Amino acid sequence: MSQALSRTERIAALMNGDPAALARAISDVERQRPAARSTLEAIQPHLGRARVIGVTGVPGAGKSTLISRYVTELRRAGRRVGVVAVDPSSPISGGAVLGDRIRMAEHATDPGVFVRSLASRGHAGGLSPTATHVVDLMDAAGWDRIIVETVGAGQGEVDIADAADVRIVVSAPGLGDDVQALKAGILEIADVLVVNKADLAGADQTAAQLASMLALRAEHARDVSICKTTATTGQGVAELAVIVETRLAAGDSRRGCAAQRARRMVATAAGNLLTRELRELEAPWLQEICERLQRGQSDLESAARAVLRSAKLVDE
Amino acid sequence: MISRRAEPVRVLVTKLGLDGHDRGSRVVAAFLRDAGMEVIYTSPWQDVTAVVQLALQEDVDVVGVSSLATDHLLVPKLTEALAQAGLGHIRVVVGGIVPDEDESMLKRSGVSHVFHPGSTREEIVAEVDALARAARRERDGD
Amino acid sequence: MSQRPIQLPLPGFDTARARWQDAYNQQMPGEKTRRNRSGIEIRPLYTPQDWRGERYLEQLGFPGEVPMTRGIYPSMHRGRTWSQRQLIGLGTPQDYNARLERILAAGGSALSLIPCNSVYRGYDADEVDAVLLGTCGAVVNTVEDMQACFEGVDIGSISTAMNDPLPFTLLALLLAVAKQRGVPWCKVTGTSNQSDYISHFVANHMFFRIALPGSRRILVDHIDFAARNLPGWNPLSVVGQHMQQAGATPAEAMGLTLSTAVQYAEDCIARGMEPDVFLPRFTFFFDISMSFFEEIAKMRAGRRIWCRLTRERFGARDPRAWRFKFHGQTSGVDLTRQQPLNNIARVTTQAMAGIFAGLQSLHTDSYDEVLSVPTEDAARIAVSTQNILREEAHLTDVIDPLGGSYYVERLTDDMEEAIIAVMQRIEEAGGMYHAAESGLVQSMIGTSALAFQEQVESGEQTIVGVNAYRVEENSDAHAPLARPRAEAMQAQLDALARYKRGRSMGEVRAALDRLARSVADEGDNVFEKVVDAAIAGATHGEIVAKLREEMGFGEPLVQV
Repeated sequence: MSQALSRTERIAALMNGDPAALARAISDVERQRPAARSTLEAIQPHLGRARVIGVTGVPGAGKSTLISRYVTELRRAGRRVGVVAVDPSSPISGGAVLGDRIRMAEHATDPGVFVRSLASRGHAGGLSPTATHVVDLMDAAGWDRIIVETVGAGQGEVDIADAADVRIVVSAPGLGDDVQALKAGILEIADVLVVNKADLAGADQTAAQLASMLALRAEHARDVSICKTTATTGQGVAELAVIVETRLAAGDSRRGCAAQRARRMVATAAGNLLTRELRELEAPWLQEICERLQRGQSDLESAARAVLRSAKLVDE
Repeated sequence: MISRRAEPVRVLVTKLGLDGHDRGSRVVAAFLRDAGMEVIYTSPWQDVTAVVQLALQEDVDVVGVSSLATDHLLVPKLTEALAQAGLGHIRVVVGGIVPDEDESMLKRSGVSHVFHPGSTREEIVAEVDALARAARRERDGD
Repeated sequence: MSQRPIQLPLPGFDTARARWQDAYNQQMPGEKTRRNRSGIEIRPLYTPQDWRGERYLEQLGFPGEVPMTRGIYPSMHRGRTWSQRQLIGLGTPQDYNARLERILAAGGSALSLIPCNSVYRGYDADEVDAVLLGTCGAVVNTVEDMQACFEGVDIGSISTAMNDPLPFTLLALLLAVAKQRGVPWCKVTGTSNQSDYISHFVANHMFFRIALPGSRRILVDHIDFAARNLPGWNPLSVVGQHMQQAGATPAEAMGLTLSTAVQYAEDCIARGMEPDVFLPRFTFFFDISMSFFEEIAKMRAGRRIWCRLTRERFGARDPRAWRFKFHGQTSGVDLTRQQPLNNIARVTTQAMAGIFAGLQSLHTDSYDEVLSVPTEDAARIAVSTQNILREEAHLTDVIDPLGGSYYVERLTDDMEEAIIAVMQRIEEAGGMYHAAESGLVQSMIGTSALAFQEQVESGEQTIVGVNAYRVEENSDAHAPLARPRAEAMQAQLDALARYKRGRSMGEVRAALDRLARSVADEGDNVFEKVVDAAIAGATHGEIVAKLREEMGFGEPLVQV
């Protein structure tokens, strides 16, 4: 792709599946360049062909190896596979080591697999709004199965619920209390629960434990599939792929509601923006509100409401 | 130390060929991260095609290849393949045990810089940062 | 550390000590605490308050006796010095054989075989970029290659250290050669030097070939096979060297190595093997860094812990099972590219530490290792260093000559405590296998590597020629490179193609099928089928590829 390409030509190249155009469009989105906005607008009418599979799980469960094997299955079925791997940024330096490439070695020369690592850049290890744009770009570029992987801690797993059609939560035996930790959030979003490292003693026990946890949940309990895999050898991964495809074929998608998703994203983005602006703003009225709070003349809720009443934070 | 940047530099730190000693590349990756860069880190034993595909998809500014044995002999093939893939703007640096006569060969093949044992954190960070900026300017043409 | 100062019945001691302390403090106002690489505080002076030998028999004993702190044999180096085992290997099997002849002519008694990196990674020569072939070791893929390596050498009378990660194809090829030459397997002696797959998984991925669960199975199969068929072979060398080279502190390296040995022992016991059968065949392999006294204390403490472990935890009764036999290699990462001849001094210092620590076998690095693959001249200096230390400096006259030094004994105790703390951490993580699988070990090593690098960057740790005492250098003065001749390597590739065409493919396929089936059958011994496949004519690369297909590719868990 030469530099001389116009913006329109770049968008055309992107939609034609040119990987270099896709890579660059993703960078534009990440760097919030002006070009990103027009690209995202232009691709809107062409979205929705791809199916998105979210994968998260307990650290040490072998998630990356499992994804690598799963990609192999999807490739065997003739799918073009995009992978978005999100790793946390260092809160101190802003830098990051994006290491999930490590486990994808077997697809390293396959042009039918496009992997992009994203640093969470302050989004607590979860999905940044950028990640959903990246998914859209891959969708527009003709990648028909897109896997979104997030680290198994923090807020990120819940965000996956917004971005994915099917959500896989990976666990493994022998991780001690971590299986218990599944209860505290990510179990709720799972469509498929995978017990990886099924060759280890205790795999059946872990599966049974998960099943009984599910049974305690009143609704949706029957909807969740449990599946055992051994990612190191690939055992059970074909079955996992079938389960996911069956769910997709049955129209399983909570991503479908684009309006709701947009609403949630706008709310988050506006909130973030507001927080940033308020932290830096030097204004007498804001100072006054804070002083009243300090002196105990107002409570936090009233102070916040006062801020929203007074704030005209954005000019345009 | 370089302060936090709005657009972090993206660097690929990798090992070509057969050797698997990765202490050097791990330490360098950590240095670059701590300097605010986004480091794509791979397992050792990459081949040239894989590195090119990776550099393209991840849209990196610099590719750093660590070599302790003789794996740097593959680097000229890498610079050539990057150019062929339209990624000539990406700067390639090599670090590790590189004999002098091989160093001149690498420079001729388009390698921007060779780091030897004893290169300091400051040197490495400053050089990679400067090369990354140059690469980005060249690609964006603005 | 946690020990209280010993109360001494020496009249006047306390007064004298206080007097010295005052004088010292006056000369050294505001002195910063010094620590060794393992983080242990190093004080300016050690006295009978730190060590007095009251528990001499319990803590030190006599050489060859429990707890073996002072050495594992009664006569140690005064009787039989260490084996001089230089790792060699470059180019084609013929090149290797020529170098071997020179070494044997010079009186060498123990051999080693370093294969090419392509072999380490599990490939045949025709599967990798030809420019990399034979640059770091010998290209050995077939029985024919192994024959050529040991042409004119009696493999029944010489001990060979095989740098041979699992599934141990090089040993299989050697056994196939023995069979062809009519040498009974019971006469084949040596060591499988790279059998410690956990150390490869966490710290040296060069050797890691097959996914963890498969590796775990093959190692036990191999130990079991050796116990039944190869009485002169040490099937296991537990390697602390990789972890220390990757950045672990000496205490961490020793603790992690001992934890690894514990893991392998438990895996063998789970298979129904007797500790007294397999433990005498365990050997160890350590890095010797520039931290002189720390290295000596590390090995002495390791010996003591291992002796207690084998007796108390595994109930071994055979004294051979209690012996902590180890090979030492001077540390490559301590060598510098700047002023490379300085490395001779470094290697000498490291070798002395190893000798004082009572090693059984020693490899001294060549000073030019940091510039390129060692030249023959440099390799000769490395061997001479050992001869000088032994025969000119008489370092071997007295057994454990530093034993009884207040400092060394106290440091041995402190290192022991630090090592045991590491072992406990691993134990709490469910043992070494799980601690490696989860990435705990990798992150411990990574943290220590970074911490050491930061000490170098800050100048807290001096490295002559790097962050201190720098000089302008004429870099052209470096020795020319030794690279295998391209024609010789092409001939090697042709020979491989000819070999592949000339064998009975039916037999090879059948043997590889049996190998695949042995994986599925838990009662079968996979290594036995590896040997059968080698005898049937399968190549190194074919055997590894088959096992990767059946057991999974060995991708390490790399953490920054």
